[in-house]
Amino acid sequence: MPSINGSDVKKVIVACDAGMGSSVMVASTLKGKLKKYGVEVSHTPVNEIPKDAGTVVLCHQGLAARAQATAPDAVVVPFAIFMGDPAFAKVEQAIANGQDLES
Amino acid sequence: MGAAVQKFGRFLSAMIMPNIGAFIAWGLITAFFIETGWVPNAGFAEMVGPMITYLLPLLIGYTGGKLVHDTRGGVIGAIVTMGVITGADVPMFLGAMIAGPASAWLLKQFDKAIEGKVKAGFEMLIDNFSIGILGMLLAMLGKQLIGPVVSQLVEWAGNGVDFLVNNSLLPLASIIVEPAKVLFLNNAINHGVFTPLGSQQVLEDGKSILFMIESNPGPGLGILVAFMFFGPRMLRASVPGAIIIHFFGGIHEIYFPYILMKPKLIAAAILGGMSGVLTGVILGNGLVAPPSPGSIFAYFTFTPKGEYVGMLLQVFIAAAVSFVVAFFLLKFDKELRQEAREEKEAEQAAVEPANA
Repeated sequence: MPSINGSDVKKVIVACDAGMGSSVMVASTLKGKLKKYGVEVSHTPVNEIPKDAGTVVLCHQGLAARAQATAPDAVVVPFAIFMGDPAFAKVEQAIANGQDLES
Repeated sequence: MGAAVQKFGRFLSAMIMPNIGAFIAWGLITAFFIETGWVPNAGFAEMVGPMITYLLPLLIGYTGGKLVHDTRGGVIGAIVTMGVITGADVPMFLGAMIAGPASAWLLKQFDKAIEGKVKAGFEMLIDNFSIGILGMLLAMLGKQLIGPVVSQLVEWAGNGVDFLVNNSLLPLASIIVEPAKVLFLNNAINHGVFTPLGSQQVLEDGKSILFMIESNPGPGLGILVAFMFFGPRMLRASVPGAIIIHFFGGIHEIYFPYILMKPKLIAAAILGGMSGVLTGVILGNGLVAPPSPGSIFAYFTFTPKGEYVGMLLQVFIAAAVSFVVAFFLLKFDKELRQEAREEKEAEQAAVEPANA
């Protein structure tokens, strides 16, 4: 199971099927929240998740298997709903307090 | 298995989706300037034919090639697509979706085979001429073989669609489309299947109802509204924002989770979708270009002049039916009734001590 400490997170990538719709929306809301921690937020299609170190991937649970297959070493945090899902808060908290995150 | 299907679907839609902007430009030019458009202009209308015959398939062929073998793949994909286009008598979206990636794959094999064997200083010569020669041969093959064969396939597919429309069987499509959509195959179905077939139809009939099957924001709207009033309490607060993003922003993914949470609600989406399509078939609805994303604004943009009432009926009948079905499914949901009971008891418990 890949895991990462919140303080090592450099980049949060939001992934969706096309990388054009829902991921852009989620990324733009997260950008504002994570800016103060110096964490970069971007969006991509699930099949094109980059394999950089220090990356946390957020995607809908229906796509999580594909995301993990594309980036086996990345920490993939799945969420269920696109707005106000506890997963978003969990990632933010882990980054703020230096807690561990794992797939 | 699910991931493999998603992956293949993604491959199809990935050839189309980056080019949706071009489809929209073409749709706008069509909507404005053809004879029956808003401001008919024969000069500007001259762009309509070449754009759908050459520009759109070439973009798809290029993008398909690029997916397989980067820019070199894109270039050979476009070359071979040109052969396919001239070998067919209908717009070659499907042909481009085959020729683009296939020729890029062949070039990739060639590049792999000669890797490290080229004498220093000859790389550019080999690189350029390998695309040139292989491109020429495959384009010839494309013209002679892929063009005619795919033309025939497209004609059969078109006849199949006509048959479904004429016999009012098209609503059955929703039985497959709505569940597939929620499993994140929405782009694959819409852009892998309906966008190419629909664009073909536009050329013949000036509009296509195929653009209105997957993209109809009505069923999702009905389900979201039902959730707002009768869904689990915890989720209700998030729904109004979701409705705006879904209906006006056209990002349908936002309602999928609500269905995945209560999977029986898929029945509401299917019945809503079917009612919408049936309405559209009866009224002879269609759009002139793929509305992407499936926002009500895109629907207004691509509805032919004077057909707004029909379009709105299709959207709102779908919404109404899915709302009613979702209402009943939520109303008689065991967990939700339990939740309501507990709330009532809690309320009473809070009131009683105050009275005592």
